[in-house]
Amino acid sequence: MIPTIQASPEETYDIELEHSLLQANAKIAEENRKQLDSHDITAIDFMGAIGSGKTTLITRMTEKLGDQLKLAVFNGDATTVDDFNLVANNGVPTVQLATVNGCHLDANLVAKALQKIDLENTDLIFIENIGNLICPAEFPLGSRSRVVVVSVTEGPYMVKKHPHMFLGADIVVINKTDLAEAMGVKISALVQDVHSLKPDIKVIPTSCKTGAGLEEVATALLSTANAPVHA
Amino acid sequence: MHELSVVSGLVESVLEFVEARGIKKLATVRLQVGELAQLEEEQLRFCYTAMIEQTPIQGSTLDIEKIPAEVSCAHCSYQGSPKYWDGALAGERVPTLQCPTCGHVAQAVRGHECAIKSIQYVA
Repeated sequence: MIPTIQASPEETYDIELEHSLLQANAKIAEENRKQLDSHDITAIDFMGAIGSGKTTLITRMTEKLGDQLKLAVFNGDATTVDDFNLVANNGVPTVQLATVNGCHLDANLVAKALQKIDLENTDLIFIENIGNLICPAEFPLGSRSRVVVVSVTEGPYMVKKHPHMFLGADIVVINKTDLAEAMGVKISALVQDVHSLKPDIKVIPTSCKTGAGLEEVATALLSTANAPVHA
Repeated sequence: MHELSVVSGLVESVLEFVEARGIKKLATVRLQVGELAQLEEEQLRFCYTAMIEQTPIQGSTLDIEKIPAEVSCAHCSYQGSPKYWDGALAGERVPTLQCPTCGHVAQAVRGHECAIKSIQYVA
């Protein structure tokens, strides 16, 4: 008797694919970065929850750095143009990125926004991501630095509840410190939480109302913009 | 809910593949998800089931393989599992970028994966 294996008509097959799903975005992000580098432009991505003060912080930074650098702002928002109006009022070229139902910006949207500004006349771009402390983390945009903005009004557990976002951050801003006492939030505990996740990272407590800490943020952003471009 | 954008990319790729090869019936899609990829398994599965309805791959299943995170430290040359944060309030243990041996900041070298590893189909 000859040993025989007969293929059944319902034979199943396995195929290795190794197809990365985040690769498409990562690739466009790399292209954005190359394009920015070739024009000597630095992009900085601001991430944080709704109401943490991203737009206000960006507006303050445009006021502080507008004299030294040619700025542009990409304003990510699901639906409204309120933030656009706030920033554009300062005379800074601003592009609104409406994601409609999207919970994060992606590199493709940023690539389109780059076509809307004069790259020859830009040094520094602030990209305001969608107000969300989870989704934007795994979607790089091509920025050279990622700033996470949290505020004391979000309560004492903001870092503990959204740890992943801080792993990818380069600078963390703890905003609205003027309300810390009223909120019963200890700034030092939030700083410690961030450092438990990522030691050595720069954490800057700020108040956009009193102006505390804003100079330090501006200095940190400026040093990012002036850092030599890595090949 | 960024799982939806990931799954929509996944379904699109798989549908393209199935169509190109003239595959009759897709059984399983095996997805690798890194521990640092911020993707919730339950939501991935939910989005997958919802999105494949009324498509040629309806009825197929999504298999998720978790890839553990790995960090390396430039300061003390440690390479291996990350230090986990006990203080976090999340249900799962939370990987950190604090070097488990010297406490300096470490780099993630593995754990951001999100890839279709393989698919199983009936020819």
